[in-house]
Amino acid sequence: MPKTISEITKKLQALKDKTRRGEEKAIAKQHAEGKLTARERIEKLLDAGTFVEEFMLAETPATDFGMAERKRPTDGVIMGYGKIDGRTVYVFAQDFTVIAGTVGAAHAEKIAYCIETARKVGVPVIGLYDSAGARIQEGLDVTRAIGKVFYQNSITSGAVPQISAIMGPCIGVAAYSPALTDFIVMVKGTSQLFITGPSVIKEVTGEEVSMEDLGGAKVHSEVSGVADLVASNDEDSLRQIRKLLAYIPSNASQHPLRTATTDDPARIIDSMDDLVPEDSRKPYDVRNVIRRIVDNDDFFELKAKWARNLVTGFGRMDGRSVGFVANQPMFLAGSLDVDCSDKAARFIRFCDAFNIPIITLVDVPGYLPGTKQERSGIIRHGAKMLYAYAEASVPKITLYLRKGYGGAKQAMCTREMGADQLFVWPGVELAVMGAAGAVGVLYKKEIEQAANPDEVRRQKLDEFSEKFSGPFEAVAKQYAHGAILPAETRVRLIQALEMLQTKQEDRPRKKHGLIPV
Amino acid sequence: MTPVTSPMVGKILNMQVKVGDKVNEDDTIIVMEAMKMEIPIVAPASGTIKEIKVAVGDMVESESIVALME
Repeated sequence: MPKTISEITKKLQALKDKTRRGEEKAIAKQHAEGKLTARERIEKLLDAGTFVEEFMLAETPATDFGMAERKRPTDGVIMGYGKIDGRTVYVFAQDFTVIAGTVGAAHAEKIAYCIETARKVGVPVIGLYDSAGARIQEGLDVTRAIGKVFYQNSITSGAVPQISAIMGPCIGVAAYSPALTDFIVMVKGTSQLFITGPSVIKEVTGEEVSMEDLGGAKVHSEVSGVADLVASNDEDSLRQIRKLLAYIPSNASQHPLRTATTDDPARIIDSMDDLVPEDSRKPYDVRNVIRRIVDNDDFFELKAKWARNLVTGFGRMDGRSVGFVANQPMFLAGSLDVDCSDKAARFIRFCDAFNIPIITLVDVPGYLPGTKQERSGIIRHGAKMLYAYAEASVPKITLYLRKGYGGAKQAMCTREMGADQLFVWPGVELAVMGAAGAVGVLYKKEIEQAANPDEVRRQKLDEFSEKFSGPFEAVAKQYAHGAILPAETRVRLIQALEMLQTKQEDRPRKKHGLIPV
Repeated sequence: MTPVTSPMVGKILNMQVKVGDKVNEDDTIIVMEAMKMEIPIVAPASGTIKEIKVAVGDMVESESIVALME
């Protein structure tokens, strides 16, 4: 037993060193799986030398079922604060090399503390998940502790940004912790996220499925919509978190940092003709339009492979962070459906919560028709998008690139739905419905009874197209603030953003609204 | 055999390939029309077109198999 202070200090230092060093065999195994250790991940995530570890020597109080022998300092999660691009963040990283990163009471207490403190201090919290699951040896103690994590995730939502990276298994009810955060990054090949695992599924339903097919990066980024970003490896996921964080302020009472840009705010765009075909039947990739508008072609897309008929992501305009929402004519003709309404609503609400202006690019043929959509609740889901736009009090700018048909216009933020500035390009087509359908309804009898129906139809089509093609009705009826040329789009949007930076808009006082979730 | 499926309900407008053609992933195989737009049906992977199961003017459902490739 050490007696003197110097002996105690020596023992303490030895314990800390041993904890930092970790267990060689477990670390080698982690590396063999293509994964970094929790400490390596934190080191690569944060600015060099900024990490301050907290509760390093915390251990589980459990002794049953062999825990007395298995317990280790940290209890399987490394936690503390540090800096990213000079800004303070809180971070926790589950450590698979210590008790397989299983979640015990001490472990979960550390995570709950981490989130709670980030909220109090007003800084982002980043969670790196890699755990074999709940530590069953600890019984209800662990259930209670995980509940505290969910509670902290929930009440912190919208106060400070919460970003999660899944860098190994994150399974069972533990999967709800990242699900309650704002963004989820998944690492291809090494991350899994699911509620009930393959063995339980087999037992209950007889269905056989691999971990990867059940909850791998591909499934969650392309089918379920759970993941926002996919990374090729650990380093890539940490790099993406740093990049994402740069668009976001540290808390809800701050504005995003404006960065210096080398791109001229008055840059005239040489040509959009090659990007947006004049013929409204031809699809194109709207992301190329966004890239040409934003600073240095840099567009950071989120949920890129899910609900691809609508694009969401961040870019900068004269150094200011902006959230983009755009119809994507390349997929499902750019129509609105259940999944893309969900994707848009969530993104709009994030931007609003963290004071990020929203630019909406419109080229929408309507809502996707069909029994599948109606039965999946397009009314319920579509309503979220309307609600989210109306609710958002950040600067909102809408630009029509080509067509806006039917009620889908409202879901893309009209002035009446709260757009502060609305512009149209000269080639815009705004109608309650497309020309062919409208003529069929309006002149049904006339066409049927005509001696030469085809000619009458063509004539009516021309008349209809003449009336609704172009920006004239939109500007005359104050639907739009003005018609702008594709070439001047960047400068006009930047001017509007600058004018709107001091925008304030109050809402009726209430406990909270009831977005149709 | 890899099936090529239509992304949505619509009408087959034209064929961009014939049986035996080699295609790369994301190449347009067939163009269909839906929501007043021309929608490309693309190859899910690189390979050779083995069979085309639709003709110009056919109506197809969402997710229906329009071609097989290998």
